[in-house]
Formats: sequence, C-alpha cells, structure tokens
Amino acid sequence: MTKSSGRGPARWVAPVTIIGISLLAFWQSTQFERVPPILKRGMQPSDFPQLVLLLIIALALYVLVKEKRVTVEKLHPKALSSAGLLIAFALLAEVDLFLGLGVFSAALCLSWGDRRPGAILFVGLVVPMLIFFFFDTVFDIRFPRGLLTNLWYG
Amino acid sequence: MDAALSGLLALADPYILALIVIATLGGVLIGALPGLNATTGAALLLPFTITMDPIPAIVVLTTIYCSATFAGAITAILINTPGTSASATTCLDGYPLAQRGEAGRALGMAAVSSTIGGIISVIALMLAAPMLARAAYNFAPPEYFALTVFGLSMLASIGDGSPVKNILSGAFGVLLATVGVDLLTSVERFTFGYNELSEGIGFVPVMIGVFGISELLVQAGGLDTVRKQVSMKSIKLPGRADYVKVWRTILRSSGIGTFIGILPAEGATVASMIGYNEAKRWSKTPEEFGNGAIEGIAGSEAANNAATGGAMVPTLALGIPGSPTAAVILAGMMVHGLRPGPSLFTEQADFVYAIFWSMMLVNVLFFFVGLYGAKLFARVTFIPTQILWPTVFTFSIVGAYALDQSMMDVWIALAFGIIGFMMRRHGFSVVPMAIGLILGGMLETRLGQSMVMLDEQWWLMVTRPLTLFFFVLTALALFGPMIWGRFFKQRAPIDSTGE
Repeated sequence: MTKSSGRGPARWVAPVTIIGISLLAFWQSTQFERVPPILKRGMQPSDFPQLVLLLIIALALYVLVKEKRVTVEKLHPKALSSAGLLIAFALLAEVDLFLGLGVFSAALCLSWGDRRPGAILFVGLVVPMLIFFFFDTVFDIRFPRGLLTNLWYG
Repeated sequence: MDAALSGLLALADPYILALIVIATLGGVLIGALPGLNATTGAALLLPFTITMDPIPAIVVLTTIYCSATFAGAITAILINTPGTSASATTCLDGYPLAQRGEAGRALGMAAVSSTIGGIISVIALMLAAPMLARAAYNFAPPEYFALTVFGLSMLASIGDGSPVKNILSGAFGVLLATVGVDLLTSVERFTFGYNELSEGIGFVPVMIGVFGISELLVQAGGLDTVRKQVSMKSIKLPGRADYVKVWRTILRSSGIGTFIGILPAEGATVASMIGYNEAKRWSKTPEEFGNGAIEGIAGSEAANNAATGGAMVPTLALGIPGSPTAAVILAGMMVHGLRPGPSLFTEQADFVYAIFWSMMLVNVLFFFVGLYGAKLFARVTFIPTQILWPTVFTFSIVGAYALDQSMMDVWIALAFGIIGFMMRRHGFSVVPMAIGLILGGMLETRLGQSMVMLDEQWWLMVTRPLTLFFFVLTALALFGPMIWGRFFKQRAPIDSTGE
C-alpha cells in the first residue's frame, strides 16, 4: 500500500482539524442554557462537555507537538470513488431509500470491477428487494415513503 | 442455583436452540470472511435482535461473538488471511502447517484449543461475574465514576495505535454521548435544532457506521488482494502426541485469555498475541514457531476464545465492556432496557445464567461446525468483494434505519462511516470511540451524582479507598507502560554487558 509519511501537512491535518472542531464545539457549549443552582445538581449542563473538550484539545496539541512523523496511507482511487458514491446514495435516498440502495450497490459493484450483469442485478435489485420484504413482513418495519416504496405501500 | 436451572431451562426452548445453531453458523461465516469480524457482525445484526425478547436477542449476539472469534482461524490456516484480527498470530504457524499438507491437523488443533479455552473462560465467567457483581454492591457513584474512568484509561492500550490517539478517540466518544437532552437538567446540548437528536446519538447507527461502512471504504483500497487456498484432504483431530505437547499451552493460554478478557476494553486480539508469545517462551522448541508449530496454534486460539468469556465478566457485572464486541453486546442490552451491574444478577438472574449456558453450548457447537464445516466455510472467502460489500452496505443502512425507523439514524451511520474511515487513515482506532460513546453517559451521570453526594467537593473522591484504588489503577494504566519502558531502557545497556 502506498503511504505518505513525514513532517509535512499530513501530520498537521488530523490534530488541527480536531482542535478546530473542538473550539467550535466549545463555543457552542457556551451557548447552552444555564440552570439555577437549585436545579443544577452538581454541574451545569455545559460543564462536562467543556471538560471533555479541553481534554481533547490538550491531547490533540500533544499529538501535534510530539508525534513528529505520521504515516497516512494515500487515498486509494477506489476508496475515493466509493466515498463519492456514498454521497450520491445520500442524495438518491432523499427520493427513495431503496432506489438509493439499489443504485449505490449496482454502481459500487461496477466501479469495483465486476461487470457481470447477473452480479449487478443481484446486488442492485435482488438483495435490496429481499431485504425490503424481509424487514417489512417479518419485522413490520415501515420504510419512508418514496418513489419505489409507494408501489408497495400504495 | 434456581437461577442457574431456570437459565438452563430457558435454553431448552426449541426457538432459542434453533437461534443458537443459526447464529453459530452465521458467526462462523462472519468470522471466516476477511474484513468482517465479531464486532462488525454483532453491530450489523443488532437491529435484527430488536424485535426479539431480551434472552434470545443477547444470546444471538454472544453466540456471534464466540463463534466468529473462533472462525477467524479457518481462513488464517487455509488462506493465510486472518478472518479476524484475533487470529493474526494463528496464521504464523497455521498456514505453514497447511502448506505442508497438514491443514486438517492445524484446524483440528484450532478447534480443540478454542473449545477448551472458551469453556474454561465461561466457567471463570460463571464464578467471577456474580462475585464481582456482589462486590459492586458496595459501590456508590464516586466508585462507579472512578471505575468508568479506569475502563476508559484501558482504551490507551487497544490495538497497535498510539495510546494518546486512542484516548483522544475515546474522549471523542464520550463527547458524542453528551449530545441530546441532559438527563440531570433537561437542557438540550449539541442538537442543532434537530428533534431526532434530543435523545442523543444512538449506539447502533454509530457502531454500524464505524465498523461496517468505514470497513467498506477500507476494503475499496484492497481490491487487488489475491487469495489462494491450500488444499485440504480431510480434517484430522490432533493425535495423542499433539495433546501431550500442547496441554500445558492450552491451559496457560486459557488462563491468559480469560484474565486479559476481564480487563476492561482488552479483547481477543491482545489475548492471542500474549498467548502466542507465552507459548513460544515456554516451549522446548521455540525455533519451530513461525514454521508450523502446533503449540503456536494452540497458544493463540485458546487465548483468543478464552477472552470472550473473560470479557463478559466486567460487561455483565459492572456495565464496563471487556472488549469491542462486548461493547456492542452492552449496547444491545441497553437497547433492550437491561441495566448491567449488580442488580442484573438479582433481578434477572435467569437471564444472566441463560447467557452463561448459551456461551457454554456455543463453544461445544462451533467445535463440530468448525471441524466438519471448515472446508465449506473457507470457500466463503471467495465470495467476490464486489458482491459481498454492496450487500453488507444494504444491510447496514436498513439496520441503522430499522431501530427507530428514522432517516436521521441513516445519516448518522453514513457520517460515522466516513468519520471512521478518516480516523483509521490517520491512525486513530475507532474502537475507543465506540466504547467512549457507551461509557460517556454513565461517566457524566456518575460524576453528577458524585458531585451532589460530595456537596460539589469533587476532590473528596480521593478520600474514599475504593475510588482512590481505581484512580491509582488508572494512573498505572496510563503512565505505567511509559515509566516501565524508561526503567528498562535505562537498564538495558547494563544487562547487555552482563554487569
């Protein structure tokens, strides 16, 4: 597997992102409602998250300062395209969850190199249908209404 | 005694027996598939257990845990690819043995030592868990708080990542547990106006995301791997000479595995590594290790299966997960409204014993499944990744949705799939995060209760002997390896010169 390592940007990315997000979360925690002393029962609602956030920031700073060399595996193109497909799934699932699942599965199968129609049909159509009917009939799960599920729900 | 009997009787139900058999087969299948392991399997199957009663639901999860842990050995021996990380050391001697045409003997030894290790650990579980639960009756909130802190500190040594990164990942999990309405004050925190988040971030979608979906992205990077199976004529149980050679190793590794399992957060992977190393250290023929030593297989497999029973001790008695898979089982118990801890042993003793007996049964069952179905299960590794992972994804998403029938859970699973993948790329293990999420709620509640109890004078916690004991253990878990390392580093040159 290809790896990029060293003292370059790779070693900054994770700790700096963590510190940035933690600072935002800390600011957000200062906006929490405060309760009167009689109700707070030992701690204000913001106390514990702030304590944890300070610990996270301190640890991220430690990683930033002490871990001079980090090894980050280079993102495989297939991993990148699969992540892209996940985003496409999220958009399609807004139209219909099972449409999203079918299209994602078929596209993933195809992009990972299996071009057999049978395999694509199996993961894109048969598996989602089997799972839908299994959950619907055995577990009584009602899936969100959408373009395809409406065909069953009426 | 009554509880032990009623627990055993609960298992006599044909429905539960059938579930155990199916889950054993499913667990072996999951364990044999590279990329899927006991934790991922339990996380993916958790939503399926929601509609079940608590006993069958948790029995299914523990069965998956035991059988998947064993099954990693099948692929480790036959195709040099450990089905689970706990079987990585089994590859070292299992595959060379298989290449020499002794795959059957290697699998036989793996099955025998796994079964013995598993049974010994379940016996230890049956003895130790009730005792630990009785001891925990004396725990007040400060003791529970200190114990939870100790449990979290043990996350430092999970996997092969940096301890600081592990603690950071665990702290992130604890932070996630603060999302939602604060139970003590009813104030909303980090909900960003979404009503679906007011009850907090669910364990199930997060587990599905970090263990299932992130693994899909990891697998995308390994599509070029070619697996070649060693031919296996027949399964052969180890002979008398083998038993004479390995019985001490099996017993030693079973003890090691059980002990490692009992330690919070430490699971089968650590146990198998230590079990293997100790087998080599005590062996009369250490030079054979790595070239097909039967003791190596026994040492690794007895230890990793013994860790399963051990890991359930703190999980059931204290509510502190003993391993990553135990964390998923704990999440399953919470979803079913069960509260692990001392009260579980008094109020639902038959449930606890049903779990004990089912684990005992599974250890016997997978012996036969493993021995006589190994050839078949090894074939599942040849299911094309292009078919397996889209199917796993569909299960993951539907599973995440099914629990609360909420699309928010689907988005959470997706988001944590990507977060988990990014974390893994940058050297952060996702296991501490999952355990932190489970323990975070308990940590905050116990801290709040302690503050009320001690009149907001938190420093009084260290005046309580048990609390102080757990804090000392925490300090040792965090700083012990560092101090130990420096001590030995300083001594090493002296030793090497013989002075």
